[in-house]
Amino acid sequence: MNKSWLIKLLILSALVAVQVLPTLKAQPEIKLDKFWVVLAPAVARSTAGYGVIKNEGNQEDTLIGIQSNSATIMLHKTEIKSGMARMIHSPHMTIKSHSELVLEPMSFHLMLTDLDMTTLFEGAEIILQFKFEKSGDIDIAVPVREILY
Amino acid sequence: MLKPMLLGIFIFLNTLNIASAFDESLPILSGVGGEFTAVDADGNTIESTNFKGSVIILAFGYTNCADVCPFTLGYLKRLYAGLSSDEQKKTRIVFVTIDPKYDNPDHLKKFIGHYNKDFIGLSGSQEQIDYIVSLYHAEYNSLATLGVPTQNIRRVNPKLFADSQEAKDDKATLFSHTITLYLLDKQGNTRSLEYTGTPVEQFVGKIRALIHE
Repeated sequence: MNKSWLIKLLILSALVAVQVLPTLKAQPEIKLDKFWVVLAPAVARSTAGYGVIKNEGNQEDTLIGIQSNSATIMLHKTEIKSGMARMIHSPHMTIKSHSELVLEPMSFHLMLTDLDMTTLFEGAEIILQFKFEKSGDIDIAVPVREILY
Repeated sequence: MLKPMLLGIFIFLNTLNIASAFDESLPILSGVGGEFTAVDADGNTIESTNFKGSVIILAFGYTNCADVCPFTLGYLKRLYAGLSSDEQKKTRIVFVTIDPKYDNPDHLKKFIGHYNKDFIGLSGSQEQIDYIVSLYHAEYNSLATLGVPTQNIRRVNPKLFADSQEAKDDKATLFSHTITLYLLDKQGNTRSLEYTGTPVEQFVGKIRALIHE
């Protein structure tokens, strides 16, 4: 390989690097999977939501809030100690890169209060807006259904 | 002639004895439970002795509970469905509220009825509830930090209230509480402490054993 070819190859490599490197910049990639909300009894004042928050990116992100017109929503965690269940409010939850937060009964869950029961009926879908520090707002439609456990 | 007859009678009596035998795998947990008074879903005073003759599964909870109680009631619904209709008639699922100020009998009836119309919700005075809780060595605590009017919590569209009373009543009081499921025999003795992690088939087996004692 002569010298001019080597120079051309180096220039080409540099161009490719300029194009490709920015896309490799560390960033979170949030996916909200299998979310659903428990159909609450008509007289209930609260209910729960479950699903999985995945971060498939190479940078962590923090969940800073969840909003909906159907309810006030907070991220809670049920902790069981010595046969007692208590709830802990987690206002800021960091999802590390390439990891997931599973929301399931007796563990992390969405706590829905201040319910608008006209929107929370069997078969309905409600919009939840997840607010992340880096990824911004992500809206998803979530089904309302009977607890199946 | 007499010998086979006596042998037959012996075998028959022995079978009866087995059928009514005390299940030693479910010993009486002495000191857990006892007789109490509460208020049933129709607002009537009820004595726990009224349940004698039925196997009881007793749970504590409250209707503002979003995660644990609906999950527990969903589990109990599945457990109850695992019994035959004859076994269901001999079994009572009793849910005792630890929030009697909010969970009045009518409210409790509608809440519990969402899961199964046969389930029994018990309320009462704070003293009655505290006594039942103490009998079962259970616990509960209000999470005061969350006892705030919910209109103060962030929301896309702020909730509007018709009047100040409605706003005042709109409280989201939460409690921590015992999640044990108490299995009681037909005499009201506590025989086993379970939880929602107990495989349903295993729990059904224990209920059956107590039904056939």
